[in-house]
Amino acid sequence: MDNPLSQNPDSMWGRFFKNAELERMLDQDLTRLYPEPGSYFQKPGCQGILRRVLLLWCLRHPEYGYRQGMHELLAPLLYVLHVDVERLSEVRKLYEDHFIDEFDSFSFHENDSTYKFDFKKFSDSAKDGNGLGKGSVKFSSLGELDPRIQTVVLLSDAYGAEGELGIVISKKFMEHDAYSMFDALMSGAGGAIAMAEFFSPSPFGNSHFGFPPVIEASAALYHLLSIVDSSLHGHLAELGVEPQYFALRWLRVLFGREFSLDDLLIIWDKIFSYDNTKVNKPADNVSNSTFAALSSHRGAFISAFAVSIILHLRSQVLATENATACLQRLLNFPDDIDLVKLLVKAKSLQALAIDANNSTSPMIYPGFYYRSKSVSTRGHSLSLDLTSPRTPPNVVPDSYWEEKWRDLHKEEEHEEGVIGKLHKSRKGWSERVRLRLSRTESDQSSSKVGKIQKDQKSPVRKTLLKDLASQLRSDEDTEKTVYDGDIGHQDPVEVNGQEITDKNFGSMSEPRYLSGNAESEENSSNFSDSPSPISGSNGRQNDSGKSSIASNLSINENDPGPCGTTPECSTLPISDSPDELSLKCAQNDNSLGKSTMGMKERKFLSGKFQWLWKFGRNASEGTSEKIGACEDAKACIGGSVQNIVVGSLTADGCDSSSRISEETVEQNLMGSFRNLGQSMLQNIQVIEAVFQLDRGHTGPLENSSKNGFVGQGQFTALAALEELRKISNLLSEM
Amino acid sequence: MVLVLALGDLHVPHRAADLPPKFKSMLVPGKIQHVICTGNLCVKEVHDYLKTVCPDLHIALGEYDEETRYPETKTLTIGQFKLGVGHGHQVIPWGDLDSLAMLQRQLDVDILVTGHTHQFTAYKHEAGVVINPGSATGSYSSINYDVNPSFVLMDIDGLRVVVYVYELIDGEVKVDKIDFKKTTASST
Repeated sequence: MDNPLSQNPDSMWGRFFKNAELERMLDQDLTRLYPEPGSYFQKPGCQGILRRVLLLWCLRHPEYGYRQGMHELLAPLLYVLHVDVERLSEVRKLYEDHFIDEFDSFSFHENDSTYKFDFKKFSDSAKDGNGLGKGSVKFSSLGELDPRIQTVVLLSDAYGAEGELGIVISKKFMEHDAYSMFDALMSGAGGAIAMAEFFSPSPFGNSHFGFPPVIEASAALYHLLSIVDSSLHGHLAELGVEPQYFALRWLRVLFGREFSLDDLLIIWDKIFSYDNTKVNKPADNVSNSTFAALSSHRGAFISAFAVSIILHLRSQVLATENATACLQRLLNFPDDIDLVKLLVKAKSLQALAIDANNSTSPMIYPGFYYRSKSVSTRGHSLSLDLTSPRTPPNVVPDSYWEEKWRDLHKEEEHEEGVIGKLHKSRKGWSERVRLRLSRTESDQSSSKVGKIQKDQKSPVRKTLLKDLASQLRSDEDTEKTVYDGDIGHQDPVEVNGQEITDKNFGSMSEPRYLSGNAESEENSSNFSDSPSPISGSNGRQNDSGKSSIASNLSINENDPGPCGTTPECSTLPISDSPDELSLKCAQNDNSLGKSTMGMKERKFLSGKFQWLWKFGRNASEGTSEKIGACEDAKACIGGSVQNIVVGSLTADGCDSSSRISEETVEQNLMGSFRNLGQSMLQNIQVIEAVFQLDRGHTGPLENSSKNGFVGQGQFTALAALEELRKISNLLSEM
Repeated sequence: MVLVLALGDLHVPHRAADLPPKFKSMLVPGKIQHVICTGNLCVKEVHDYLKTVCPDLHIALGEYDEETRYPETKTLTIGQFKLGVGHGHQVIPWGDLDSLAMLQRQLDVDILVTGHTHQFTAYKHEAGVVINPGSATGSYSSINYDVNPSFVLMDIDGLRVVVYVYELIDGEVKVDKIDFKKTTASST
């Protein structure tokens, strides 16, 4: 017997209580929607419409229920309709004469007594000949009107080409329209992106990964980010910032919470202008690699836009040191965002996203966005580098690729018995960075830090050497079709067996190199503690600079597919500056089909290497034994100066060795200068952000003398920053 | 759709330890809007428990109640109906319909809820309803030898009230339903 206390959820009363709960949540959300006084959304009429539409949709789709956020998807749709209707009535008031409801200029209403249109009085005035009503503007024919007004008039023509359905804007049917629009948005209208899926907690039917769709979409986002800007991705992964922490809000409301309503409408225009149909790979329907979120143009654009937002906040994000600060930056947007720039960037990334989705195969096991693997396909010249290969320290190797990676590293450990202490270089690097960053804010306990720095230094140097060595290695074997996957030991696993052997090869060559440079290492190790963090930060700054260069390059120069995007992919956390630039040059090389350049390259590389060492040593000599933020800054400055010098050299080298025409050389040079300037600016921003963090932390220092010192150091650093700024402005103007 | 719970004569802790667990599992907070108690709880703990089921609680004074400040009778209006509560030991003969009808006219209510007999009854009488929810714990009664735990849930909806009676018979909860309609609108 059905009774109110029945515990049967399907009973009438059970459903009654469930619906009551739904309504309660709905009402709560609606009161909080755009709560500014006078806001359109708080008016009772609008609230009533929103409530009815949402309630009806949720009741019709009980599997989704009502989730917070659905109302924020519906609200802008309703707003647009409302604005349109208002505009229509405005136009109608002004241009009454044209809103005649005449069928073949035969007005019905005289014969049809049940005809109750408002047009009646308008056609009366028209029939009056030159009667002017209420100061309306008189036009003799429709064609003389402003084309926009024309559209509005024609859209309300009930007897137009589409008959009664021709009325697009109608006040009477505003609610109906809102419901249809909302329904289409939520169910995806048969396309790839159905917003409703983002609200469901369970893995969707054909999800390949078995994760809830919103998690999957966030992972797709990270995947795209890793392709575009792997250092940033690496940084985020290292901090433990899982994508869904911020992406959930972005995706569920389609960025509704991040932008003001007007901006949001622009963004949505762009999003909805893209087709939502799935872009299927022709012969591979059972591939379990594609992200559902990326498999339509619209989905790709959404992900691309999210990535462009992240990139916009790049310098701030890179300067943060823990996950909460990072999330704070990501979730609190500055108000002055240049929307057009973001959209343009997103558009450029969108194509990338679609390609990436179509070409990558497996990257699947739980936690896969930590170790996104990629396959360098043979025929496909677009190869995606392995990014953020940071394994958590105590992971149990339970998969094939893990073991391979570990084997690899065991070999390398074996090889480099020269240097005493070796942690997994990736992890070591992340530790180092963390230590460096924490050092800038913690109390200066010199002994402890000194020891760490000592340890840091040698591995960094060693890895730099290794990178270079393997790079030279790779240059020798130019017959490889997938050369760019082979960037030294940093890549954990390559799918190709050949590449694995190549790496072993590479790692074996290292001792040779190492022994050659052992003395130089010893010498440098006798220096003060500072070099290691410098080079560590150096590498990092370099890296960020380079990756930004790379990404800028790809977007600015619009290199065709492979060439342009590969520099981004091949960005590594600690790849030395020569490596990347030489890579880029080597790319130009390949694309131009000149294999003889290899020799020249190597010469150049070794030359640059010397130069780098020289600069590095100068930088370390210049600084004394103090530890503190100023050192970092100075080192970074030194580093970025090197950056520029080396970069310009490389640009020169590249251009000279590639036999393209003079103008393109000029262009490349200018472009690279510009990009250098931009990268400098970015570096400066990161440094400044770090400074701000430091200032917050150097406050509570007890040691007053240290305080005074650090203040002075900061002062000089700031002055140096100003100089850099000027240089970068000059460069960018060129 | 206003849900009103009517129960009483629990006699906790003297004659019974607690409500039957099946009843307790049904009485979850959030579903019921009002609670009417005929009395003889007897201790404050029961009062607190009933408060958790619903904050709007109306209690009449029974002869064994330890809290003596409850009123002997109480009237309240819910929707279109006027309800009256009393314990019923004052009305003699105990459980007699005519005497209770006198009380109903005295209080001028449409629905009268009394207890004391530990026996569920529901009468339609002179355009009104007289309900006895019985004993919610099934505690001993000197006038009634076969006591089953029972309580009443009223669903007041406009001019119509549906009375659901829940009885625990042989360990199973049995539900019964009685419909009452108010024939004339109340004149206030």
